Amino acid sequence: MTEATVETSPTSSGVIAKPELPSNGKADVLILMRNLWKTYDMGAEKVHALHGVSFEVTRGDYLAITGPSGSGKSTLMNLIGCLDTPSQGEYWLNGKNVSEMDDDELARIRNQEVGFVFQTFNLLARATALHNVELPLIYGGIPGAKRHEMAKQALAEVDLADRMMHRPNELSGGQRQRVAIARALVNHPSILLADEPTGALDTSTSYDIMNLFEKLHEAGNTIILVTHEHDIAARAHRIISIRDGLIEKDERIR
Amino acid sequence: MNFIDLKESAFMALDTVRANKLRSMLTILGVSVGVVTVVFMVSIIQGLNKSFAEQIEALGSNSIWMTKFEPSFGHQPNSEELHRKELTLDDADAVRREAPSAMSVSPLYRKIAETVRYEDKQSDTPILLGVTPYYEFTQSSYVGRGRFITDLDVEERSNVCVVGQDLVKALFPFTDPLDKQVKIAGKPFKVIGVMEPLGNFLGQSRDNSIFIPIKTFEKYYPELHFPESIYVIIVRPVSRAYVKSAVDEMTDIMRRRRRVPLGAPNTFGISSQDALLDIYNQLTGATYLVLTAISFVALMIGGIGVMNIMLVSVTERTKEIGLRKAVGATRSNILWQFLIEAVVLTGIGGLLGLAVGELASILMNKYSPLPAFVPVWAIGVGVGVSAAVGIVFGLWPAWKAARLDPIESLRYE
Repeated sequence: MTEATVETSPTSSGVIAKPELPSNGKADVLILMRNLWKTYDMGAEKVHALHGVSFEVTRGDYLAITGPSGSGKSTLMNLIGCLDTPSQGEYWLNGKNVSEMDDDELARIRNQEVGFVFQTFNLLARATALHNVELPLIYGGIPGAKRHEMAKQALAEVDLADRMMHRPNELSGGQRQRVAIARALVNHPSILLADEPTGALDTSTSYDIMNLFEKLHEAGNTIILVTHEHDIAARAHRIISIRDGLIEKDERIR
Repeated sequence: MNFIDLKESAFMALDTVRANKLRSMLTILGVSVGVVTVVFMVSIIQGLNKSFAEQIEALGSNSIWMTKFEPSFGHQPNSEELHRKELTLDDADAVRREAPSAMSVSPLYRKIAETVRYEDKQSDTPILLGVTPYYEFTQSSYVGRGRFITDLDVEERSNVCVVGQDLVKALFPFTDPLDKQVKIAGKPFKVIGVMEPLGNFLGQSRDNSIFIPIKTFEKYYPELHFPESIYVIIVRPVSRAYVKSAVDEMTDIMRRRRRVPLGAPNTFGISSQDALLDIYNQLTGATYLVLTAISFVALMIGGIGVMNIMLVSVTERTKEIGLRKAVGATRSNILWQFLIEAVVLTGIGGLLGLAVGELASILMNKYSPLPAFVPVWAIGVGVGVSAAVGIVFGLWPAWKAARLDPIESLRYE
């Protein structure tokens, strides 16, 4: 793993050394994080949610990020998902320096590079499964006919080809999560970022969803699971444990 | 912002309207009321203007009025004006002789509300006009049946009269008025003609007149009492282009006749249609202002309704906004989505309002004396105004939505 040596404090503002670009070095490095700090200004005191986190993820990996609540796990996930920018440090995603992007550029990156899967699915209640899956394509500016085609294909990949015109309230919890996964996949993003994807599902449905992730991983997708459940994390190939804003353990299990 | 966003936004907007039917209908209603008010006000103003323009034309287009003093609303004539010399028939003859731009000159006495009787029927409202044969052509108002007053009638001070349509209705419902004997203020007159109908002007009938020879009028009314009775010299210029030169010539002639010193003000009044328009504008300007203010307030209320509903909508859909941002919506995507939603709401309200306003103006034309008219551009104004209300009052809620933090929004329950 990359060692954080240059920057050690969130307050120092020296020139950040340019990291090895994935194209220069190992061609399959997808995520490169260098000494990430995230500091929240809570009036008088500053709260450091992350204290200099560094790691790499190679393309096609299946990674779980675990940790108790308040560990900085969610903050890290928001950074990986480009919903937020670090206070200090560098984050390269698929060769792009995300840490210096403005809101619109981040939106673009989220649209192209990240597929989100949420605990509570976050589907548009009154839109059909097909329309829900089309949503990222709409913001990606993809024209109607192609959009339908891509969305249909994504739904077929999660075995929901026959439920395209159903609305979320006509689908089971597992089916809803599969719609959400299809939505995350439809733009062929670099990473599939799942936040407690089984948190709202019963055991057997959770099992089905985890099998689906495995299948997607075998098909070449890079998957990052954020969970506090050990048995879910254990399905991944690599587990990063976060505690008090630092990486406590980074182990490859298969 | 591209076409795809627009379509998606419109889809979402209609979907939201469908999902919150009652709430949306109430909001739409608010905007409709505003637009109805605007359309209705425009239609009244336009109707008034249109009928005024038409009727000024009918009054004798471009006619110039010479009077003892300028007609004006809002102030009484001052004592200088009241003590001026009266205009005379000779003045009218002089203008006819000496003003080349004047095609026709019609001097007349005008007295309001004279009593006219025929047998047991009576009317107290007709306008009594003492005229010359020039009246018909000058005023573009012609006799329909029988004959008009002739020079001979004038010279002989004959007791003959020509009646307007209103008097025919009031006094001769079942008989032919021609050659019948009527009494004007108790004096006997023989009916020699009936005027063609003229219709209304600003809701007032123009057919409620009775005409007698000008010298007969002088015989019975040797004294003029302003404003009950006045003497007017009406001049019809050769064409619209000659209004100004006719006014100049008349002024010259009158100043010479009255020996008004150079630099001193006129001792008589001359007004053309433009002056009439000025008076009209004086009368209606305040009305328009009030109508515009009412429309504005109605639209404000509708707009505040829209803003309220949009703020509720933004709050309710915080999580949806978070999700849209997570899958790649930019601030401007979200801003447009909510702006378009507001415009869809107000647009529906606007169309509804237009329909109701149009209907109201049709009903108004049919059942009230006020003319109403919805010009094509008013439809544009209605749609434009409702869309503008959507944009103005939707902007802040949309801006709020666009600025939401995606992380906070996704966490919102």
